[in-house]
Amino acid sequence: MTKVKLNGEEVSVEMTRDEFEKVKELLNRDPTITELGGFDVMWSEHCSYKSSRPRLKLFEDAEANYDYVLAGPGEDAGVIDIGDGYALAFRIESHNHPSAIEPYHGAATGIGGIIRDVLCMGVRPIALLDPLRFGRLAGNSHSQWLFKYVVKGIADYGNCTGIPTIGGEVEFDDSFKHNCLVNVACIGLGTIEDFKHAPSRAYNPGDYIILMGGSTGRDGIHGVTFASRTLTEMSEADRPAVQIGDPFTKKMIIEATLEAVKTGFVRGLKDLGGGGLTCATSELTGDGNTGAKINLREVFTAEPGMTSYEIMLSESQERMAFIVKPEGLETVLNVFRKYEMAFAVIGKTDDSKVLKIFDGEKLVVNIPAKALSESPTFKRKEKRPEYLDQLLAQPTPKPNKQIGEIIEILIASENICSKEWIYRQYDHEVGVRSVVKCGNGDSGVLRVIGTNKFIASSVGVNSKHCYLDPYEGAKGGLVEVCGNVIANGAKPMAMVNCCNFGNPEIPESFWYFSQAVEGMNDFCRSLKIPIVGGNVSFYNEDEVTKTAIKATPQIMIVGLIDGYNNIITLPFKTAGNDILILGETEAELGGSEYHSVIHRLEGGIPPKVDEDKIRARWNFISALYDRNLIKANHDVNKGGFIVTIAEMCFKNKLGAHLDLSSYNANGLRDDELLFSETVGRFVLETESTRLNEIMLLATKFRIKVTKLGVILNQPKIIIKGLENQDISLDIDKLKDLYDSTIPNLMEM
Amino acid sequence: MTIKIAVIQFPGANCDLDAVHVLRNVVGVDTSLVWHNHFKEADFDGVILPGGFSFGDYLRAGIIAAHSPALDEARIMLKDGRPILGICNGFQILIEAEFLPGALLQNETLKFVCKWVNIKVINDRTAFTHRMKKDDVLAIPIAHGEGRYYTDNLKELEENDQIVFKYSTEDGRFKSEANPNGSLESIAGICNIEQNCVGLMPHPERASESILSPKQTTHGRIFFESMIEFIKRRLT
Repeated sequence: MTKVKLNGEEVSVEMTRDEFEKVKELLNRDPTITELGGFDVMWSEHCSYKSSRPRLKLFEDAEANYDYVLAGPGEDAGVIDIGDGYALAFRIESHNHPSAIEPYHGAATGIGGIIRDVLCMGVRPIALLDPLRFGRLAGNSHSQWLFKYVVKGIADYGNCTGIPTIGGEVEFDDSFKHNCLVNVACIGLGTIEDFKHAPSRAYNPGDYIILMGGSTGRDGIHGVTFASRTLTEMSEADRPAVQIGDPFTKKMIIEATLEAVKTGFVRGLKDLGGGGLTCATSELTGDGNTGAKINLREVFTAEPGMTSYEIMLSESQERMAFIVKPEGLETVLNVFRKYEMAFAVIGKTDDSKVLKIFDGEKLVVNIPAKALSESPTFKRKEKRPEYLDQLLAQPTPKPNKQIGEIIEILIASENICSKEWIYRQYDHEVGVRSVVKCGNGDSGVLRVIGTNKFIASSVGVNSKHCYLDPYEGAKGGLVEVCGNVIANGAKPMAMVNCCNFGNPEIPESFWYFSQAVEGMNDFCRSLKIPIVGGNVSFYNEDEVTKTAIKATPQIMIVGLIDGYNNIITLPFKTAGNDILILGETEAELGGSEYHSVIHRLEGGIPPKVDEDKIRARWNFISALYDRNLIKANHDVNKGGFIVTIAEMCFKNKLGAHLDLSSYNANGLRDDELLFSETVGRFVLETESTRLNEIMLLATKFRIKVTKLGVILNQPKIIIKGLENQDISLDIDKLKDLYDSTIPNLMEM
Repeated sequence: MTIKIAVIQFPGANCDLDAVHVLRNVVGVDTSLVWHNHFKEADFDGVILPGGFSFGDYLRAGIIAAHSPALDEARIMLKDGRPILGICNGFQILIEAEFLPGALLQNETLKFVCKWVNIKVINDRTAFTHRMKKDDVLAIPIAHGEGRYYTDNLKELEENDQIVFKYSTEDGRFKSEANPNGSLESIAGICNIEQNCVGLMPHPERASESILSPKQTTHGRIFFESMIEFIKRRLT
């Protein structure tokens, strides 16, 4: 907090004294209190990206470099052209701080916000995905409480709006105990025409500005600046800064907005989220090179007597701003009347390039439209944490238990076990598009009705890997999430990210962010994946543990599958078929579940990414798919490939007979071989008659692919070729362990 | 003469477009999506009340929609024997509007549940099941938080043959683990005494295309095909 003098009175603001001086310089006078409130919000970290912007400039210009990218970073959502006249919009963002204080409403309004971001691209929201982080559940009632109500908040809001939650990802780690992460992602589908009708700019003078949806209340004022602070014990007192969601109104807003866009009279569209009316009006006019006159007395408020400051900064949910052609005003208003949505014509655009806000006759804001988005940036210091060397040097102790017993413990561990308890609560089928459903593939696959195209999407990153090496960890996240959509038969088309980090003013925290951005940038340029949007959430640390969360650069990928016959799913299909592994296993146990669960270790060497190898593997898989050689595919993730194989056995109650002797070319220890989380590997099922064809192709592509064994008709996994004795595991028992962990913790 | 079906769009309905898609593109029948205040029974041969959260399920699931003018129109159809299907929230509305008896309570688990289940055909003579056979087991998904069927008059329901579907195992046995919400007697769907109005919690529109079914089934389609044939018989 900074105290500044405004018209002889002392006022508290979030901005720094330098920023306050810059405001005065921009305006050539003292700001009014409403103007100052606007600058304070718009120049907050959450809205202005003032710490992150200099680093995010690393990313290439996706709109310029990829012809199918229709909207890139800086827009409310990234948009790509998927052919057949359709546009796909998607975005991911955080709602961490509100959820840590009030998990139910924090998560629900997070969903509400991300739906609005996609809706304001003029397309119908058709899917949600939610990557989450909490403290470990076992023996921790606070983490259980956060987890239970975050999931319920997502379910109640998503289910009611009729948007299926088709995927997600969760990790439990004590660095998130008091600062859980709730990231929310949404995908929208519409025609390219629809998208063109809804730019988030007011570029034409003389258009009407209409506010539609929920009424403006005193809730959520300064929610954005709250998100830009570190959580403290005082945060409990911030509860009024958490907004309350109304999914029913949101559903009506979706229908009314889409019908309004279809009239052809909408010329611009923007949702009201962080920063409320201040953010929406200044971005619409600032980005559109216009100005506007707006009268706040037209705004419908939840209670009488709200000041202009409160109306401009309210972050009440469920509101949209429309820019409408004058000749279409009545047509658009009639759509809103049909849906019984409240609306108000609050002003008109003009060519003044100045935003003039009136409170009745009184001019309360009079600033250049672009000024609010011209926040200063900060060049933050970065420093590699000193503790890292010691962590990376931690050796892996010898296994303290039988390997078979370790596999059983791992499969039941919180980060590996089934997440069915979560996705059963989400309606993941509404919309009749869900072709590969939760639990059946590494990603969620949706059909595009009326075409033979399919969308695959997945989210994730490994926070433990990123903690040890944010550069390789961010790359590894990309390999993993791209691997998810590839495993289902898709080609990765574009990426958006949500960077969750600690306080950027602390050089060690900023180093994590900076390294992760570099990792994402290097990988995406190398593998030709456009980055079409992002969100940054800093200050994820709390006063209780005095530490930052583990760095979590969440990644969302959308991919496309051409044709129904090219969809691949996870479960093993037929006994007698061969089980192959694509890619070598390295001794990379750093940040693994094995280290964490079995040895209570955080350190070691985490997986590294070799882009050339990854590219070759992806090309090879694509060649296998073209020849229809693959019956099942699952990318290797937490717990190593033995967990992957067990998961593939579960659905159809099959087993596996494995001989690992020819695979272990690096001479790894049993635990290294089985539990390393080396990224970019896939376990494949193929008919044994096609094995030769695959091996010939592998030689041609210079790829290492190894037959590990065959699928068994009985529910057991037999592992031979280890240093130690052979292992036999019972699939029914493993499945029971896998399924029961979360219900046992949550249903007591 | 062409058959015309209405899918009523209540504010907050969210399976409305799904039902329209299946009726138009899968079953191939002339279907209109009708805003609840605009619905006129005279224009239609049958009506579907789709799933979703009409009026946000505020107060109690289905109760506000039950007072929509659309239900007054539908009541005329109910009396003259035209087919009426309530799916999920549509079933809740039909119960609140007293087209069908009983109540739908919060699931026994107190949680929303979305999964594929099996239901066994108990009554194969209704407007929506006459192309099924008694004891057939259908694969169909559910997605609801308030679907636990309850009635004080089970005996009457049984005597009048109003139980249309029960949750069962894949091989047709009634077991508690096959009952996903704790419904009385595993009841998944019921009908009126005249058998032209059926309500059920599962979603036939989500089970009408093999591409959406884990077992490539299309059992949901039979509901709509039964309805079309029922209408044809009535008209001739």
